[in-house]
Amino acid sequence: MIFKQYRYEPLAQASYLLGCVRAKEAVVVDPIADMGAEAYVLDAADLGLTLVGVFETHVHADYVSCARELAAMNGVPLYLHQAARGLVRYDFIAIADQQVFDVGKVRIQALHTPGHTPEHTSYLVTDRSRSDDPWFVLTGDCLFVGDVGRPDLLLGDARVDVMDEASRARTQYESVTRRLFALPDHVEVFPTHYGGSTCGGVNMSGKVSSTIAFEKRFNLAMRQPDADAFARFVKETAKPFPKDYARIKAQNLGLTG
Amino acid sequence: MTPAEVRAAVAEGAVVLDMRPPRPFAAEHVPGAVNFQFNRADLADRADLALPRDVPFVVHAEPEPVARVALELLTQAGFPVRGHLAGGLKAWKAAGFATGTLPLLTVDELHQQRDRFRVVDTREGFEFRYGHIPRAELLEWTEAWGKASGVPADTPLALVCGDQVRSAYVASVLLRAGKPASLVFGGMVDWLERGYPVEKTAQA
Amino acid sequence: MPIQEHRTLDARGLLCPMPIVKAGKEIKTLTPGQVLKILATDRGAIADFPAWADDTGNELMSWLEESDGTLVFYVRKGPEE
Repeated sequence: MIFKQYRYEPLAQASYLLGCVRAKEAVVVDPIADMGAEAYVLDAADLGLTLVGVFETHVHADYVSCARELAAMNGVPLYLHQAARGLVRYDFIAIADQQVFDVGKVRIQALHTPGHTPEHTSYLVTDRSRSDDPWFVLTGDCLFVGDVGRPDLLLGDARVDVMDEASRARTQYESVTRRLFALPDHVEVFPTHYGGSTCGGVNMSGKVSSTIAFEKRFNLAMRQPDADAFARFVKETAKPFPKDYARIKAQNLGLTG
Repeated sequence: MTPAEVRAAVAEGAVVLDMRPPRPFAAEHVPGAVNFQFNRADLADRADLALPRDVPFVVHAEPEPVARVALELLTQAGFPVRGHLAGGLKAWKAAGFATGTLPLLTVDELHQQRDRFRVVDTREGFEFRYGHIPRAELLEWTEAWGKASGVPADTPLALVCGDQVRSAYVASVLLRAGKPASLVFGGMVDWLERGYPVEKTAQA
Repeated sequence: MPIQEHRTLDARGLLCPMPIVKAGKEIKTLTPGQVLKILATDRGAIADFPAWADDTGNELMSWLEESDGTLVFYVRKGPEE
């Protein structure tokens, strides 16, 4: 398979191009406007790949997404979890927990992992040309290397926030414990942020990949004994809010231009 | 350029250069278009090897940023490019214009129906000599533009190369010249992987 | 025994026949016996490189395909004519 991790250093943001070498098809996950839709398009063209879809793990608050633009430019679907219905003001293809997408031999399964946001979805990837066992999971802002996504990026509008900070923290804990940590140990973890990003806490590693096994054992937030301790730990180890997060979130929701 | 403008340009002798990968090209394309896959790293080098320099081109590449970059690269390389097909094939079809297709063959299908086809190998002479499909004939891709009209049309032609990039170019040039061309997707790499027989003879 | 290359040519992103065209140029900078490692992404290279090595009197020692589709070729420069 073709796996390309893009790192936009100024925001410590990672996006992904996943493709099947034989089928010559690819998808992009969490594309960032700072890199520009063109960057992904030209890379895919260089590899002779046809883009067949754009996936978002969630509606981001620390960077402007170019997922809509990328999808429209290529005439392909923009996939977001169905919980985003009523929250975002644009059309997208609503996906459900456990839904499977095949891009040639690359199988992508959506795992609804709310908490950081209500619609947050991780994507479990299997390269069927190698094995039918899952190989890695794109964890968005749910699980980071060494840390977890923060539960406090709220707009102060209950209709759009949906869950308050306390519920988000509890749900986040459940999502990691019950969904992500239930995956096989060998499954690799590829997040959407790393290092200095303010989407997580002070323990976020600058390394942009890990494994379920390693995070189970050494992720300090997840070593907390229960959801309440987890919530306290996350609050205590939080970083400053992402710059302009309310404005950026509103833009990514389609509330503003 | 709008589809109508492209059609008018073609009537005056312009050639549509379809820069998408072979598979989408084969599925449907502007009739008479020549397939020449885009990439940034060596588009100019490859164009230099094979494309005619005295023919005005109209680029068809999707989406728009690819068309724009393709146009820049070809123009910088000194090729006369009139413009690009704005809106791609979608716009072409919305304008009510017909499209053409290029039949595809897998190596398995070619192997099963070997006698139906005249196999044309589009690689360099030394690659052909090293190993080719039995009874294949050589038409080097760098010479295809000039030699297309002279290719016999009595038997269906199956075009091969290493994989399918050079052969797709030649297949499209032959289709353009009214020859019954099909593209063997996967080419010699797949043929060899299957363990099908190869011939090592002097160049035909 | 792992092969130790003297020079690496990154031909990834190039479409055929450019990987062998560039390899032809690059191998001129080596002395006989030295090894050129070539990285390519174009699948046609699998058929191209054996033919090219044979035609140019160089030795294709081995090649492998990495899981992301990158092809790696090791070519030992043959004796000068």
